[in-house]
Amino acid sequence: MDPSPRPAVVIDNGSGYTKMGFAGNVEPCFIIPTVVAVNESFLNQSKNLSKANWLAQHNAGVMADLDFFIGDEALTKSRCSSTYNLNYPVQHGQVENWDAMERYWQQCIFNYLRCDPEDHYFLLTESPLTSPESREYTGEIMFETFNVPGLYIAVNSVLALAAGYTTSKCEMTGVVVDVGDGASHVVPVADGYVIGSSIKSIPIAGKDVTLFVQNLMRERGENIPPDDSFEVARKVKEMYCYTCSDIVKEFNKHDKEPIKYTRHWRGIKPKTGAPYSCDIGYERFLGPEIFFSPEIYGSDFTTPLPVVIDKCIQSAPIDTRRSLYKNIVLSGGSTMFKDFHKRLQRDLKTIVDTRVHLSEARLNGEIKSQPVEVNVVSHPIQRFAVWFGGSVLASTPEFFTACHTKAEYEEHGASICRTNPVFKGMY
Amino acid sequence: MLTSTLTIYTVLMLITFFSLEKGVELDHHWVEFDDVRYHIQVSMKNPHLLLLSVSLPTPSSETIFVRGLPFGAIEAIKAAYGNLVQILDPPRDGYNLTLKFNLAKLPANPDQKHAFMVKVASIREVVLGAPLRVILQHLAARTVAPDLDPPVALVHRPNECFFLFPQADKVTVVYPMRFNDSIDIVLATSFLQEFVEARRTAGLHNTPPCSWSVTPPLEIKGVPSDALSANAGFVTFVIYPRHVEGHKLDRTVWNLSTFHAYVSYHVKCSEGFMHTRMRRRVESLIQALDRAKPDAENSKKTSFNRSFKRLGLKDSSTN
Repeated sequence: MDPSPRPAVVIDNGSGYTKMGFAGNVEPCFIIPTVVAVNESFLNQSKNLSKANWLAQHNAGVMADLDFFIGDEALTKSRCSSTYNLNYPVQHGQVENWDAMERYWQQCIFNYLRCDPEDHYFLLTESPLTSPESREYTGEIMFETFNVPGLYIAVNSVLALAAGYTTSKCEMTGVVVDVGDGASHVVPVADGYVIGSSIKSIPIAGKDVTLFVQNLMRERGENIPPDDSFEVARKVKEMYCYTCSDIVKEFNKHDKEPIKYTRHWRGIKPKTGAPYSCDIGYERFLGPEIFFSPEIYGSDFTTPLPVVIDKCIQSAPIDTRRSLYKNIVLSGGSTMFKDFHKRLQRDLKTIVDTRVHLSEARLNGEIKSQPVEVNVVSHPIQRFAVWFGGSVLASTPEFFTACHTKAEYEEHGASICRTNPVFKGMY
Repeated sequence: MLTSTLTIYTVLMLITFFSLEKGVELDHHWVEFDDVRYHIQVSMKNPHLLLLSVSLPTPSSETIFVRGLPFGAIEAIKAAYGNLVQILDPPRDGYNLTLKFNLAKLPANPDQKHAFMVKVASIREVVLGAPLRVILQHLAARTVAPDLDPPVALVHRPNECFFLFPQADKVTVVYPMRFNDSIDIVLATSFLQEFVEARRTAGLHNTPPCSWSVTPPLEIKGVPSDALSANAGFVTFVIYPRHVEGHKLDRTVWNLSTFHAYVSYHVKCSEGFMHTRMRRRVESLIQALDRAKPDAENSKKTSFNRSFKRLGLKDSSTN
């Protein structure tokens, strides 16, 4: 069967959520947490058994192999019974556990998308800092286990740019500010090629916001069961957090009208089943604030996000800087906070204007420079912008020629996945 | 694995929910195993009308399709969905069937609504399983369906079909198994042999008898040879009336029509399992190698505790 007339499968494995679906659609079919619940009770048992029970052990091993769940099912299973251990295969944007990842893909393909992997081309995503070895590993699993006819591993920031491609203008130059759950990167892209030497990473991501919110609530002594507090913090983050323009003013607002700004959370304790409720106050704006004033979260990293973006653009080739400032694209779930883009744009504009004023002052106002246009783009599909970009890319006819095919894999081996063409352009 | 409803059905539920609240533009394509394609559409103008188009695998020359559908399909659709559905003729370009659902007429009771959406989501079973269902219903009544000359060929994959040999007291089902990849063929062959073997264990006495052979079984002697080019042998099930009684019928129809997908899923699973084992083995070998390294090097590493070796002045002069 010739697979090219069928739509390609696009899977974006993030540290927090996996987005998957078919190319050509506007929305992914599924957005599920990237988590696998594995039943490891068989493994421990088999060590204690004697050798005589070899067959029983073997069968138990085979059963354990199929006894796992992914996504939301995994979360509920692990909560109900203690036999399942949760495993997060992607951490900080990198695949850490390949066994779990392979199982995760297997379930994605067969149980969620329910397609035959031999019939579809695949588009997977990786972070710009993925090592060539793990790219090879991905290729090996895709071609050997699933027999895919063709595979393309795209860099997620390029895809995020491609997502904006259709909505307004054909612009493939820009800075992608990708703040996911486990990893944050600022990636400059010029004409579709990643400027590898200027990529900046930030050790603060969505998970840190959750941890910070959890910590704030714990310190205030809110009545939340400890084993549930991380999940509650995550929900609070997703539902109530927003970005403020000025932290001191926001504190005053909250103190003057606590009723207007305080929210309530109601839940049920998992062990006893008793209902509880707690208040949500300052953490609503303090959570996202750690991107702009990281010193309130920890002392390891104190550069605010706008400064990192500015440094990143300043380190890029000089002829691309103006167009980079003009197109700063947000992607990833943790950029979804209300007014995040406005705050980012304002802070960045301040930095740029100060620099322009300084240089003008130094030249005694003899030369007037053109004002630099700073523009932070946000669109409603930010949460799965990477997936959408992949869907757009994979529905073009050129996609099928850019893929690594099964025949190439069999001829050259996994090394065909080592290099990614988007890194080649600039250096 | 492989439940009979579309997994996209959660999406469907959302659509029904939203489209009744406010108009939502929706245009979604997706493809399922064995090349069944769907297209779902809701427009802003008529938010209560849902268009669902289905394209079926291309039939091989042996199968009978009436106006692009397997026999009995139209009756099955009418029986399943009643007056909420309208079959559009001709169907959407490139599809075998287009159904128009009127969501305004959905039952108000949430449980009934849910049940109906599950039914919509299992459209594949209704359409592709229709001829199988007709034959098995006749078996439950211990008669043979008229105007069908055995063996009956039914499509289950593009250009591939499986064969039914209906009799009054039993129906014999024969699957020619084909796989593309050489590794898959080997794995599938051994899987099927194990599968037949597993049927003989004590707990499974009531299941349909099943056998596997390299050559085509006698029931399908008359079929042209190109339809019988199987590279992973032939699997035969014998279905008795007790397997299709009452509510068992639905399960039997679904399991029989997705048998190939079931096997190929398990082949992929076992490949994944073997890779896991191989990775574990490599890791243990690497560990053994690490342990065999001379101690001097080891102690140096632990004392520095850094991945990069720092060169002092002394080191650089000796190097």
